[in-house]
Amino acid sequence: MTATTPLRTWQHASAVALAVSAALWAFFVWRAPIDAMQGPIQKILYVHVPVVLGAYLGFFLTALGGGLYLWRREERWDRLAAAAAEVGVLFCTLVLVTGPIWAKGTWGRWWTWDLRLTLTLLLYLVYVSYLLLRSFTEGSERAARFAAVYAIAGLAVIPLNYFAIDLAGGRTVHPENLGRGSLGAGMRAPFALGMLTAVAAFAHLLVRRLEVGALRSERDRREAEAFREEA
Amino acid sequence: MNALVAILWKDLLSEWRSRDRVVAMGVFALLVVIVLYLAAPPGSGPEARAHVPGLLWVAWSFAGVLGLNRAFALELENEALSGLALAPVERGFLFLGKALASFVLLLVVQLASALAFALAFDLDLRPVAGRLALVAALGAAGLCTIGTLFSAIAVRTQYREVMLPLLLLPLLVPVLLGAVRATNALLLEGTLPWPALQLLLVTDGVFAIVSFLSFEVVLDE
Repeated sequence: MTATTPLRTWQHASAVALAVSAALWAFFVWRAPIDAMQGPIQKILYVHVPVVLGAYLGFFLTALGGGLYLWRREERWDRLAAAAAEVGVLFCTLVLVTGPIWAKGTWGRWWTWDLRLTLTLLLYLVYVSYLLLRSFTEGSERAARFAAVYAIAGLAVIPLNYFAIDLAGGRTVHPENLGRGSLGAGMRAPFALGMLTAVAAFAHLLVRRLEVGALRSERDRREAEAFREEA
Repeated sequence: MNALVAILWKDLLSEWRSRDRVVAMGVFALLVVIVLYLAAPPGSGPEARAHVPGLLWVAWSFAGVLGLNRAFALELENEALSGLALAPVERGFLFLGKALASFVLLLVVQLASALAFALAFDLDLRPVAGRLALVAALGAAGLCTIGTLFSAIAVRTQYREVMLPLLLLPLLVPVLLGAVRATNALLLEGTLPWPALQLLLVTDGVFAIVSFLSFEVVLDE
């Protein structure tokens, strides 16, 4: 039994969950009514809002994995942090691509320095720097330690950024429809299924990336063993 | 605590003897002032002056990053960093010593470049000098605490000169926003807004605690 066997189970389970929820989600998005004010472009929100969940989940898990690594010094927690950061950056890229497309159609401009836009962009830059730090640090143990410290500092700065941007007058112009419950008939289901699909996609990609991490460390271990035997 | 004083004294003394960091930071800040002056709206009218607080912090944060890049590069010579890591003292105090040394050097550069800004943009800083110094010191404290932590990280990576600004600048937003906002109100209206000051104080506190505690694992060799 290899270290990747339990991951395989999760991989199959998340793949099935992803396939089912994605199919249902696509059907409900297709069936959802066209927004009277915004037109068909409103449907991009059925992608945009759910992927935000994946982005934030990724960044939270990165800091959690980093913290657990510093505490327990077990390599698997570092693998979790690295995997979550990569998947989180992917989801955050989707957020930053879909958002402006919708904004151009609805607000008339690609970007505003709105509170949440700025926060998300900064968070994105923090985690891109996090990935660069990992790839520019030699030695997996050192990279794990450095990355963990950076991920925790990155998480600590989120509330500070929130106050800072609020102070700088970055009023939020973001719609708050979900919270206010002002969604039209037939719009609730695609949002809910979108969330489910995003979580399933996140889980699936995370598990696959964890498997890559586990295989890599297995390869490194075998290479080190072979090297020792030769010497 | 003795380690803090020893490190601070060692850094300041070696800087006093070579003067390379302060001179490099100072000349760099001056060059930034000149470039920004040329890039700002022409003349020294109110339109140009409205940009000064932001430009001032651009010059100060760039000079700060330049100085922080050297803070640990110095310790790589003769494996001094390993010596520091092996020293039987609380590592948090090593961090505080290094951060304080960078802080003192940055304050010197801030003072010199503020004078250069005042001359270039025809500003009378005397009525707000004390409060401006407070804002500059609070901003510098935030920059030097988290900056010292990341400098210790960046120095052990490839492309270390590039790595430090990449790590530091995205996290520096609360410090820069608070400092620019406070400086703006100070230079344009002569008032010091409490929310901006509060943000600076809280951010400095959070950065100092996070850096003090994490320095332990950053030096671990």
